[in-house]
Amino acid sequence: MIKSAMTLFLVTSAMVLSAQQPQSVWDGTFTEAQAKRGDQLYAQYCAHCHAADLTGGEMAPPLTGGQFKYNWNGLTLGDLFERMRISMPQDNPGGLSRQQNADVLAFMLARSDFPTGGTELASQTEVLKEIKFEADRP
Amino acid sequence: MTRTVRRFVPASLLLALGIIWISVDVGGQSGQPSTKTGEWPHYSADLKGTRYSPLDQINATNFSKLEVAWRFKTDNLGPFPEYKLEGTPLMVKGVLYTTGGTRRSVIALDARTGELIWAHSLREGKRAAVSPRQLSGRGLAYWTDGKGNERILYVTTGYRLVALNAKTGAPIPTFGSNGIVDLKVGVVKGLNQQIDLETGEIGIHSTPTVARDYVIVGAAMREGATVETHNNTKGLIRAFDVRTGKKIWQFDTIPRPGEFGSESWENESWAVNGNVGVWNQITVDEELGLVYLPVETPSSDYYGGHRPGNNLFAESLVCVDLKTGQRKWHFQLVHHPLWNYDMPAAPILADITVDGRAIKAVAMPTKQAWLYVFDRVTGQPVWPIEERPVPQSDVPGEKTSPTQPHPTKPPAYARNFFNLPDDLIDFTPELRAQAVEAIKRYKWAPTPFNPPILGNVNGLLGALVPGTATNWPGGAYDPETHIAYAPAGNLPGSRTIVEPPKGFSDIRYVSGVGGRPFTPVFGPGDCCAADSGRKTRDDLPQAPAAPAPAPAAGAQPAAPAAPAGEGGGLNVQGLPIVKPPYGILAAVNLDRGELAWQAPHGDTPDNIRNHPLLKGKNIPKTGQAGTQGVGMVVTKTLVIMGDAQVTAPPGRPRGAMLRAYDKATGQEVGAVWMPAPQSGSPMTYMVDGKQYIVVAISGGVYSGEYLAFKLPE
Repeated sequence: MIKSAMTLFLVTSAMVLSAQQPQSVWDGTFTEAQAKRGDQLYAQYCAHCHAADLTGGEMAPPLTGGQFKYNWNGLTLGDLFERMRISMPQDNPGGLSRQQNADVLAFMLARSDFPTGGTELASQTEVLKEIKFEADRP
Repeated sequence: MTRTVRRFVPASLLLALGIIWISVDVGGQSGQPSTKTGEWPHYSADLKGTRYSPLDQINATNFSKLEVAWRFKTDNLGPFPEYKLEGTPLMVKGVLYTTGGTRRSVIALDARTGELIWAHSLREGKRAAVSPRQLSGRGLAYWTDGKGNERILYVTTGYRLVALNAKTGAPIPTFGSNGIVDLKVGVVKGLNQQIDLETGEIGIHSTPTVARDYVIVGAAMREGATVETHNNTKGLIRAFDVRTGKKIWQFDTIPRPGEFGSESWENESWAVNGNVGVWNQITVDEELGLVYLPVETPSSDYYGGHRPGNNLFAESLVCVDLKTGQRKWHFQLVHHPLWNYDMPAAPILADITVDGRAIKAVAMPTKQAWLYVFDRVTGQPVWPIEERPVPQSDVPGEKTSPTQPHPTKPPAYARNFFNLPDDLIDFTPELRAQAVEAIKRYKWAPTPFNPPILGNVNGLLGALVPGTATNWPGGAYDPETHIAYAPAGNLPGSRTIVEPPKGFSDIRYVSGVGGRPFTPVFGPGDCCAADSGRKTRDDLPQAPAAPAPAPAAGAQPAAPAAPAGEGGGLNVQGLPIVKPPYGILAAVNLDRGELAWQAPHGDTPDNIRNHPLLKGKNIPKTGQAGTQGVGMVVTKTLVIMGDAQVTAPPGRPRGAMLRAYDKATGQEVGAVWMPAPQSGSPMTYMVDGKQYIVVAISGGVYSGEYLAFKLPE
């Protein structure tokens, strides 16, 4: 009884600890395979306006580089994901699935040199809201 | 199709509104609303395009104390939120009227609380979905006979003119057909062929202009950088009877054979060319009975080989008679347009005094940073505008105009060519050296009229031109001090054209760089509104899948991507290739034809402030790229304009500032925090003895919202 109570305590503590240490984009939040899937989707749905190299166009902002990173600095991946999911692609807003949006987001992160990791980016907004977008490596 | 929601309005509110009516009727002229009575009855405050209000309760001493009075989120005015809310509301008799949302709904709000009084929208289906100018637009127009009849007029995304009862939001049954005039009827292309009423290319973002009992509507087509044909819809401006919707006159911006100016379309090229719309605000001198039309570019933006000649009335300021639409005078600012220097702003009507002589003038802010000033009765330039030789194009099929008009006064209010190497970035010697190298990849000329080139990744990438000084928000004017104000981007741009992929367009060259995958340029209004794209992607111009051409055997390896790194601009290490300021607010004394002051506008962007190569450097306030996209309001003492970008400098949360400048000196005298950039020009009004400022904000993560400020109780 005491042992199981102790186990429960440890598990609970671990959960609290993990909740107290929010992830950031520097923690390896997506996989290489996911970014590759996103690459293909990006070419098909996004490159028209944001350019093949993500540097933006006359009417569309860049999705890589300092201007992009500081534009989202301090927000969460959930914020960026929601903006994509609701309003993109511009000629068919909301036309991509959650999974596709997550894959495109993984590709964008990869192209901004954020590190890959062992798990894929989730496609639930609430989960992505736990991941902070930080322009500079902490 | 019509949907009007009217909310229950308490009797006390109606009573209160009635009281405000009475007080306004006392102050206004023959029952007409006016900024003099604290109202804001036109998009640009008045018909003269001034954006001026004499209110002064909010001033330098208290601006920073402003508090949010109310906010109105536009998310549910359409099936999904909008991130580009550009409207400027009107305020008449205690009620705010504006447009919002991805369906361009019309809303009436209690000006004191933001409470919704009524809402209206049309569900236009495919017609709206394929429109070239979608989303919420810039707002609407108001009309009253001064005897209690009040109307709201706006143009839908599907290009219908709608008249609504201002009190209820219900369509006026006696206007057009049940409140609607189909503006596509009578619109033509080619040899005067009616365009398709559903898919025909035309739309507009700007508001109708109501003057006396006329409602005047312009026309806009797709962004012209990479269009599929030069033979698209022809521009036209029409005036309708505000009571009946009956057309009164029409001015064709591409003259037909036998009409004045037709010879400026050589080889009868009038018949196979389009565009030349008026997409911005139209201003009117009601006393003179004259209308001022800022006419835009012909198809296509950067190649004129299919339209030899000067192409009147493209890129001209045209003055027509309010009653008949007959041309009184015109002045073409750019002959045979090749730079998309379409007139981006409302012409400003200014009564000035030059060398002791009173002149009724019209001043035109532009993308090329010149403020062109004319006598608005005669069309004569107030200061000489000289025809001077300009560089000539070497693009096959292009025939550049040998000369272009150059204003001698006032001087350009932002960079309108690049003074090399002095203008290049000099934060460090290394950055300067890289900029000097990078700029070698561009064709340079000391003029805004540097013609587009056939850019190629293995050679020159483009011709250097001013980016965009002033864009659609336009300028403002203080009728008391005779000072005009203009927001201005201050960064370079480049113009390059390329043969389009086979089957994409009948235009020989469109915007692009040889050796790079071809990318069509979509405008912000080409898509993205309610009903848009939902299975209609095929209706938009498509680029055939065209892989980048492989370098020929033995050819030099492709050059690295343009030094333009971000946002399509010219950059070095992610920094603008030129010295700051990147965006400014400029003031021009119109009595003297001189610059009064220029102030960098907006905090230094975070990516520059935190740039690793600039650590330890003392970087002056740079202002912001994108300043061409924000507008202002001028009051008794202030110029008020918000930031174009979000920043998070030390000491305040991430956000954008609404700033107040001393209008006489350009000194910033106050600022108030907003959660998102300014995306529509502010306005101001007084109700119940309180002055309010309302501004549209949106962008990035933040969806459209009207934000109202007032002083603490």
